[in-house]
Amino acid sequence: MSAICLLCSKPLKHQLTWNRFIFNEQQPVICPTCHSKFECVKPEQQKSPHVHALFHYNEAMKDFLHQYKFLKDIVLKDVFRQEIANALKNVDAIIVPIPMHPDKMKTRTFAHIDELLKAAGIPYTHLLEKISSESQSSKSKSGREQSAQLFRLKLDANIENRSYILIDDIVTTGTTLEQAKAILIEAGAPSVKALTLIQG
Amino acid sequence: MRKKLSKLQSNKCCYLGTLENPSIRDFLTGRIWLRDHSPYSEEQINQHIQLGFISNLPGVQKLSHTNYICNRCANKNPTLFIKYHCAACENYCVYCRHCISMGRVSSCSDLIKWIGPAPKKSSNHPFTWTGTFTPYQQKAANELIESIKENRTHLLHAVCGSGKTEILFPAIHECLKQGKRIAVATPRTDVVLELAPRLKQVFPNTNTQVLYGGAEIDNSYAPLVIATTHQLYRFENAFDIIIVDEADAFPYTHDETLQQAVIKAKKSSSPIMYVTATPSDKLLSQIKKQQGGYSFIPRRYHGKPLPVPRYDTLWRYTKRIESGKLPRKLINWTHAQIQGNRPFLIFFPTIALMEMAIPLFQQLDFNIQAVHAEDPDRKEKVLKLRAKNVPGLLTTTILERGITIPNVQVAVVGAESGIFTSSALIQIGGRVGRSFDCPTGDLVFFHHGISVEMDVARKEIRRLNQTELSTI
Ligand SMILES: [Zn+2]
Ligand SMILES: [Zn+2]
Ligand SMILES: [Zn+2]
Repeated sequence: MSAICLLCSKPLKHQLTWNRFIFNEQQPVICPTCHSKFECVKPEQQKSPHVHALFHYNEAMKDFLHQYKFLKDIVLKDVFRQEIANALKNVDAIIVPIPMHPDKMKTRTFAHIDELLKAAGIPYTHLLEKISSESQSSKSKSGREQSAQLFRLKLDANIENRSYILIDDIVTTGTTLEQAKAILIEAGAPSVKALTLIQG
Repeated sequence: MRKKLSKLQSNKCCYLGTLENPSIRDFLTGRIWLRDHSPYSEEQINQHIQLGFISNLPGVQKLSHTNYICNRCANKNPTLFIKYHCAACENYCVYCRHCISMGRVSSCSDLIKWIGPAPKKSSNHPFTWTGTFTPYQQKAANELIESIKENRTHLLHAVCGSGKTEILFPAIHECLKQGKRIAVATPRTDVVLELAPRLKQVFPNTNTQVLYGGAEIDNSYAPLVIATTHQLYRFENAFDIIIVDEADAFPYTHDETLQQAVIKAKKSSSPIMYVTATPSDKLLSQIKKQQGGYSFIPRRYHGKPLPVPRYDTLWRYTKRIESGKLPRKLINWTHAQIQGNRPFLIFFPTIALMEMAIPLFQQLDFNIQAVHAEDPDRKEKVLKLRAKNVPGLLTTTILERGITIPNVQVAVVGAESGIFTSSALIQIGGRVGRSFDCPTGDLVFFHHGISVEMDVARKEIRRLNQTELSTI
């Protein structure tokens, strides 16, 4: 029973590279061909100094997101675990996932951002909660920009004098992250940055 | 709802709540469908369950401590089940990855089936085909009808270009006349798209559904379904006859769950009709074991022999293309086709090599294009070739079957590569000389050393051409 690529089902050939040996890196769950279809965002391509995005939104990423979020293939949480771990493991900050509305959580059956972090072995804290269950993508771009408050601070949230990093799957206009950031700043967070898997 | 009321008023002996909704009945009959994805409301479905018209079963069932089965696709491969903590049922759930592209099936999502009264069936199916059969075709068509009457499995072994689709027409008509439900299933979407308009044309009054990944779903009951074998996962106990066209094509032969899907989609006593130009030994012995019917058509409908491939060396073609140059022989061959205004197909063993070659070919003629399995414009490009808007196409094995282009000339680059099995090579050769007006054409295997598969293919083509014509 050998492992197969989670995206194309071809058998995976496991190789023990020095990185995997010395730094204890995880075995990949997708094959090199599938991996090569994702495009990293280079430093000069980052759209905002406050938001660090890992990948571009290309055809392969569109398919990935469709299968992970829409088809609810939760096992795909592992696909980018190494990249997410590399981006966050030595960072001294409190990691805050963008929350999901409980209704949405029921239909999706899992919290897709939390699962990405769990797969990467990154501890996180929920400080925000989603107010409206309305989906982001169902609104037009201009509608999204002037939309009402999406989040509020959780009642038991305790803001410390430390750096915070918000985590989301995709950044498009940046409105979601801006709103979340404003709430944390207002509550006394000294610095708030963001990491997203994808730059739309 | 309004429909139901008007029916009630005209039929006073019935009372509200015991009649089935005809739309739900027609849609669900023979299907096994994700409850959450059905076009009907929860309330309507619940009502039909209470009336005993719909049965409800869990999507994934536990067989033993570590083993599960997907009730839609029958997958049992443990590596394709994922267990996780599910927020919907607040418990551990298991889902099937094998059929996930059709909407996820999990242990907390239900599947529904129709167990109520059957839909009204029509036996009025006008058949408007006006063509004539060769004696070989006529014999095979009669044998197929014979097998349908006897309810036995049948193999139609017909060489490429023998007009096998037409041979199916009388058999399909026979089934429809008897009020039977019939599926024509094939592993390839291209073949579905090629078959559908031809069948709709000869059965103009028959409600026909065409199902493939991404196709619109309509809610009616169709006695004739043309589908990819993959789509049959969504049927159960539905068909009185299933015709599996291109039965030897990938992935059907390699995927046992697809073969299972065909068996599950048909009624238990229903026969399967296999149609192929290149039956595997396994299929031949299976038919023999089941004492099924067998028809063999060694001749094309125009009576001319199959084109025999010629071999030509193309030493180190990979290196040459990698270095940005096309081998001289390939340039000459392509030039000759362009000069002669003959459409051409050039088969490549890999997408990677083809993508390196396409800019080099476009230096010969800017309009030459390439197609592969994931190409969304594949259909349009083939149509352009047929219309002579492009001089030729580079392709992977995806175009090995199902397409007919008058006077097409074919070259295989790297015919010795593993992907070109003897049956693939026979299918590729079958593209040449199909039309009555142009019954011949060039078929060249460019190679870096002759493979066993190449020789098997050539021998088989010669054997078919030499088969006695007097066996009728
Ligand atoms: Zn892969
Ligand atoms: Zn399944
Ligand atoms: Zn569940």
